[in-house]
Amino acid sequence: MPIPRSALQKLDDLRWLVPRSTREGMRTDAVIYADEKLLAQILGDLSIDQAINVAFLPGIVGRSLAMPDMHQGYGFPIGGVAATRLSDGVVSPGGVGFDINCGVRLLASNLERDALLARDDYEKNVPKLRTLVNQLFRDIPSGTGAEGPIPVTFPELDDVLARGAAWAVDHGYGEASDTEYCEEHGALPSADPSQVSHRAKQRGRTQLGTLGSGNHFLEVQYVEKIFEPATANVFGLHEGQVVVLIHCGSRGLGHQVCTDFLKTMNEAMRKYNITLPDRQLACVPSQSPEGQAYLGAMAAAANFAWANRQVITHFTRRAFQRILGDAVRLRLVYDVAHNMAKTEHHRVNHDEADILVHRKGATRCFAAGSPFIPSAYRGVGQPVIIPGSMGTASYVLVGTQRAMDETFGTVCHGAGRAMSRTAAKRGRNVRDETQKLEAQGVLLRSETRDGILEEVPEAYKDIDAVIDVVHRAGLARRVARLKPMGVIKG
Amino acid sequence: MEKRPFEILEHPADIGFRAYGGTREELFENAALALFSLTCELGAVEERESREIETTGSDNETLLYAWLAELLAVAEAERLVFRRADVTALEPNRVHGTAYGEPFDRARHEMGTHIKAVTFHQLFVEQSAEGWRAQVFVDL
Repeated sequence: MPIPRSALQKLDDLRWLVPRSTREGMRTDAVIYADEKLLAQILGDLSIDQAINVAFLPGIVGRSLAMPDMHQGYGFPIGGVAATRLSDGVVSPGGVGFDINCGVRLLASNLERDALLARDDYEKNVPKLRTLVNQLFRDIPSGTGAEGPIPVTFPELDDVLARGAAWAVDHGYGEASDTEYCEEHGALPSADPSQVSHRAKQRGRTQLGTLGSGNHFLEVQYVEKIFEPATANVFGLHEGQVVVLIHCGSRGLGHQVCTDFLKTMNEAMRKYNITLPDRQLACVPSQSPEGQAYLGAMAAAANFAWANRQVITHFTRRAFQRILGDAVRLRLVYDVAHNMAKTEHHRVNHDEADILVHRKGATRCFAAGSPFIPSAYRGVGQPVIIPGSMGTASYVLVGTQRAMDETFGTVCHGAGRAMSRTAAKRGRNVRDETQKLEAQGVLLRSETRDGILEEVPEAYKDIDAVIDVVHRAGLARRVARLKPMGVIKG
Repeated sequence: MEKRPFEILEHPADIGFRAYGGTREELFENAALALFSLTCELGAVEERESREIETTGSDNETLLYAWLAELLAVAEAERLVFRRADVTALEPNRVHGTAYGEPFDRARHEMGTHIKAVTFHQLFVEQSAEGWRAQVFVDL
């Protein structure tokens, strides 16, 4: 049974405390960020219990945190954040998730919305948008079993795993400045490709440049509303501008790394005398041989995801130029991860320390002045890109000092599911859903029926409500809202 | 014992199943069948190729997890769709089996939701007077 509302203490309108005394074995409190309405939805599944379970992790620093888009996941809730001490704390693959470095990147074009609504040069009765969406759908494979445009050999793959986005740029898939506009410059140097199993490499070898399935997508969008003009100007965004949002991760390679290490850690936990309320939370001391092996493999998978988003960026640029002319430019605004564990320097209880921050469906959002964001943005803060559900809206936010102080510089990652996939499919058909979106001006191409029905907007929480909470809580500020025009997905 | 080989369970974001079997071997085979049925419409899958599967696990749960994870990984790595897996040898900590299916063909195989991975979430394997039973959730 989900935890009752009476177990929560209201700290203010947007913060709810689950005290450490709630369950024996909790090492710290849990804090949930939500308004009344979102909280009511959150209480409908086991996600708060999962945030409580996270509070059991040995060496946890500060509180077990959960963002307003939280929903039930495996081990950690989706939307969960936990930091652990480096000296004696643990690393938990469940705190990263199967899709290591699932993330989003935003490309800003030099086109206005009207350019896509104009008639196609050859097929006069359709807008260019439709031709563009079809081209993108052809060039960027999605769905199960899709093979990417650039299969690599095993030795080449090791290079990808070591170098991330830079590998892709060096091989002609991108522009030199692209890596500067990625979190971590698009590569974790701690990657150890030798810790990635052969099975994982087999799964990933042909998948560079593919979107995958589920909630992953590529959307052609336009900037519908600017909330903070000065900051938007720094990010190079203005109302009416066409942008592209790419949401995907490390594909089968990352899934297999997580699968492999969940087994390893479940078997090793006994050795380290760790017992937890949920086996999916399996963890080992981060400095142990198993912990270090995982972190090396995880970083390699993260680099694969950055290379993947970089290759997709290249084919997106090419498709745009083919349909809309050689003068089209797509500049990388920023690329952020939302499934990751990383060593970061934070202030913890009046001290500063290096800690391991797990973000499971949560986005890094560093404040102005951070050396870890591109110099062009350092005066305002990190762009935080939050994808909404299919056909609704996405947001660009900017990081704040409050997030640095309260949440290890972290904010939400999306709308968050509110309905099971099976329930979403019930009573819906592809034709109606596609037409409904078209009536709202959104063209949809999907590889599968489930790809459409499981991702209908009604299956998700209200993205505007989620963003409202993080904005009012002061964790990040609204900069721009983006509306979809075309969606391609698995 | 349950007559059904398996039943599908809902999860707020993902999906799972309960599998049944008169023996532990049959349980592992039915769990594989449940997994395959979530992947693809099995009626259209022919048994034209087979793959040997071998894996280990320190207890029943870990062994079932490893067996299903390996079937999923081999299918994806080799772009195959499976419709059946036989267990040929099952020891306390080791399973050996053969999976049957064919290369994935976009034109003929209607794919369901893509399964990223098998999880340990509420995973159990238990034996009762009626036989064996297991619960598995997968990540989509």
